[in-house]
Amino acid sequence: MAVPEKSTKERLMSFLDDLEVLSRELIEMLALSRNQKLSQPGEENQILELLIQKDGEFQELMKVALSQGKIHQEMQVLEKEVEKRDSDIQQLQKQLKEAEHILATAVYQAKEKLKSIDKARKGAISSEELIKYAHRISASNAVCAPLTWVPGDPRRPYPTDLEMRSGLLGQMSNLPTNGVNGHLPGDALAAGRLPDVLAPQYPWQSNDMSMNMLPPNHSNEFLMESLGPNKENEEDVEVMSTDSSSSSSDSD
Amino acid sequence: MATGGNVRPAEEPEEEEEEDEAAEEEEEEEYTFLPLVHDIIKCMDKDSQDVYQELNELKSKFQAMRKLVGNMPGIDLSPEEQQRHLQSLREQVQTKNELLQKYKSLCMFEIPKE
Repeated sequence: MAVPEKSTKERLMSFLDDLEVLSRELIEMLALSRNQKLSQPGEENQILELLIQKDGEFQELMKVALSQGKIHQEMQVLEKEVEKRDSDIQQLQKQLKEAEHILATAVYQAKEKLKSIDKARKGAISSEELIKYAHRISASNAVCAPLTWVPGDPRRPYPTDLEMRSGLLGQMSNLPTNGVNGHLPGDALAAGRLPDVLAPQYPWQSNDMSMNMLPPNHSNEFLMESLGPNKENEEDVEVMSTDSSSSSSDSD
Repeated sequence: MATGGNVRPAEEPEEEEEEDEAAEEEEEEEYTFLPLVHDIIKCMDKDSQDVYQELNELKSKFQAMRKLVGNMPGIDLSPEEQQRHLQSLREQVQTKNELLQKYKSLCMFEIPKE
């Protein structure tokens, strides 16, 4: 315990050095005293006592070293256990991260759904209003030709060139609403009623026009009929798209 | 040994204890240099020629002990330091056990495998 910070190995080695030196000194001293017939029993006894003391301490320390060996084994077992626990914790952490990822995705999707539900609730539109809007669209013959339509009639079942230009898409691409080159004659005719079509307060919104144009019970039938002539509509749309592209290229 | 153990299982621990004690005594004898020094002194008293052999034995014993000490496991630390390490390891194992137990008792996670 003289040098407590030294390792047991260092202390054992130092004891061994001391024991070797003391035993050598004792043997040399005895040999010398025997040859020279000198007797200094006091010094010999001192060395012998020191040797016995050091030998005893060495044995005690060896016991400590052996117990340290056993503790070392226990420590190795504990280290293995710590490693095992570490791998367990890492595995658990991995699983928790996966769970977190799945939960985060689920929460995000749920929030999105809640947002859309909230949005839908805030912007709730009554069916009556929807029907009104449908009337407004159909009144301009934008989706279906009138029942009395004949070739040459300027009213069309699709937006005219001028209507397209006045719309949101037209405004986004900064297409001029006036002075269109190469527009169809029908567009010119339609232009006359265009302000009425785009006006927020369309005359039929007061139900006067809708009553005149369509009987209340006829609206569904009318919509169903509009789905009927699909081929014609498709063809018309194609013609319209070529028209608009040619006109837009002309305007450019 | 195995058959003898099966015949008298009750006496086996006592025998083992006795064997352990005997082994410890032998070990203690192995770690002392005094018998060899005593033999050398006796030989010197008798003016025997065996003294050189005894001296060689003592020398080789020191060498053997140095080798033994050099190969002994777990003595690179002082006992106090080793105890601190041991305590720290025990605490680590306990903490990690508690942590695992805590997480495992929270809830079960079933991860869908794609």
